[in-house]
Amino acid sequence: MKEYFILQYKMTNRKLKDFGLEPIMGYLLILACFIGLSIYLFHKTEFAQYVYIPISLVLTSKLSEIGRNDFLKLCFSDKYYKLVRVVENFAASFPFLIFLLYKQTLIGSVILVAVSLLLGLSSFKTSLNFTIPTPFYKKPFEFTVGFRNTFFIFLIAYILTFIAISVDNFNLGIFSLLLIFIVVIGFYPKLENEYFVWSFALTAKQFIVEKIKTALFYTTILCLPIVLTLCFFYYTNIVLILAFYFIGCVFLITIIFAKYAAYPNEMNIAEGIIISISVAFPPFLFVFAPYFYTKALKKLERFLI
Amino acid sequence: MIKVTELTKSYGTKQVLKNINLTFSEGNVYGIVGENGAGKTTLFRCIAGLEDYQGEVKSKLEPLKNHLGLLLTEPFFFAKITGKEYIQLLCSARKIKTDNIESRNIFDLPLNQYASTYSTGMKKKLAITAILLQNNKYFILDEPFNGVDIQSNIIITEIIHKLKELKKIVIISSHIFSTLSVTCDEIHLIKNGEFIKPVKREDFSKLEAEMKEITIANKLEKLELI
Repeated sequence: MKEYFILQYKMTNRKLKDFGLEPIMGYLLILACFIGLSIYLFHKTEFAQYVYIPISLVLTSKLSEIGRNDFLKLCFSDKYYKLVRVVENFAASFPFLIFLLYKQTLIGSVILVAVSLLLGLSSFKTSLNFTIPTPFYKKPFEFTVGFRNTFFIFLIAYILTFIAISVDNFNLGIFSLLLIFIVVIGFYPKLENEYFVWSFALTAKQFIVEKIKTALFYTTILCLPIVLTLCFFYYTNIVLILAFYFIGCVFLITIIFAKYAAYPNEMNIAEGIIISISVAFPPFLFVFAPYFYTKALKKLERFLI
Repeated sequence: MIKVTELTKSYGTKQVLKNINLTFSEGNVYGIVGENGAGKTTLFRCIAGLEDYQGEVKSKLEPLKNHLGLLLTEPFFFAKITGKEYIQLLCSARKIKTDNIESRNIFDLPLNQYASTYSTGMKKKLAITAILLQNNKYFILDEPFNGVDIQSNIIITEIIHKLKELKKIVIISSHIFSTLSVTCDEIHLIKNGEFIKPVKREDFSKLEAEMKEITIANKLEKLELI
């Protein structure tokens, strides 16, 4: 059992190194991001724990995937298998638990521990067998796959918009809009198999333009209910709402450029730092986006003539 | 026509393909045989333009990649994409309209299920269907018969015959000699990155006997089975 956890630790270190980070720096960075995002969420809304606990449980439930558990069952005796799973799940939910305790949400903490330990004693298919319908089937693949993986977050975002209007909390409304962008942006950094890029009978420029058009069109469809609702109830803040939408779109475009600027490798620390600077100072996007675009064209020309 | 001239490919200091010269003509089916690691897949990737190489690959229709249906040994599938969406993706990549996917689903695949849930053979059949629906002029099929059931192997063989009739160029690799002997007009033997010789249809049985003799030699004795 000890060897298993040492192996997990080594695998995590390797992933961080592949990303271009020294493991210790990686762990510190992840910790800083986790604390920062947790503080931000709890600062922005009083309903934070209703988002926070489900996020923790969704992440933990990934460990219950049936194929992974079948492998563990083959490796360990029944007793050790259960122990491994309980320890894993507790470790996965531990950072969330600490933050909930810090926020003195005791009931939430108890629910989190109880459910994550129960999940540790169960295994199920995290990818359901039935096909989840998607409105984005016409232009596979990012939105087709992404929507199926995260459709429930869009529901949460729309519910948050409803709550924002009900309790007259404009910031929460903007958060729900940004949540859509965060999720959509998450569709893109995943490495795309070179076969699918190679297949396109397009030039590098046409390929990237197509990607942008699809991304903006589908993102707008997802954002539209929130943008329209916020514009209706907070019409004095229309410019601000549209500014957030516009920055979100520019950010999305930059991420797509950055993805292909690193292609056929995954985005590394250099792209990560540039993107982080852009998050802190959005005007930099207008400098970095053209830089990534030029680099992306060069990388794609290797696969597209 | 596809003409490969002086194609050389190296990984670091290791040369995996050495001065390959080949010509593939319309209406012919070519087999490429060789041991694991001989360089077959690397050659296919070079022709497709997925690898950098020295030398030249020219075709009548340029760019070659836009007219090439490439079946990889292990086709890649996204986790939550249905069979139908996979075909749509590959067809839209070549600007081909796909109104009648269901009626052209000759392998009776469950197209509305996630492709990642398909068995190995079903995945291969889906990848074959997709490149056929792309209306390509050239085909490279890396192990098309591998993992596929007998009934589908019969269909794939007939598809290859049909492609030949339609004057397409088909290049196949297979580890099952019989599948090549019934489909190919010419077989090329590759060893350690070099092409040894082309063999015409009339000499296939001779080639098979030669390969059997060289490959088996006294290896079975070495096992010392009792």
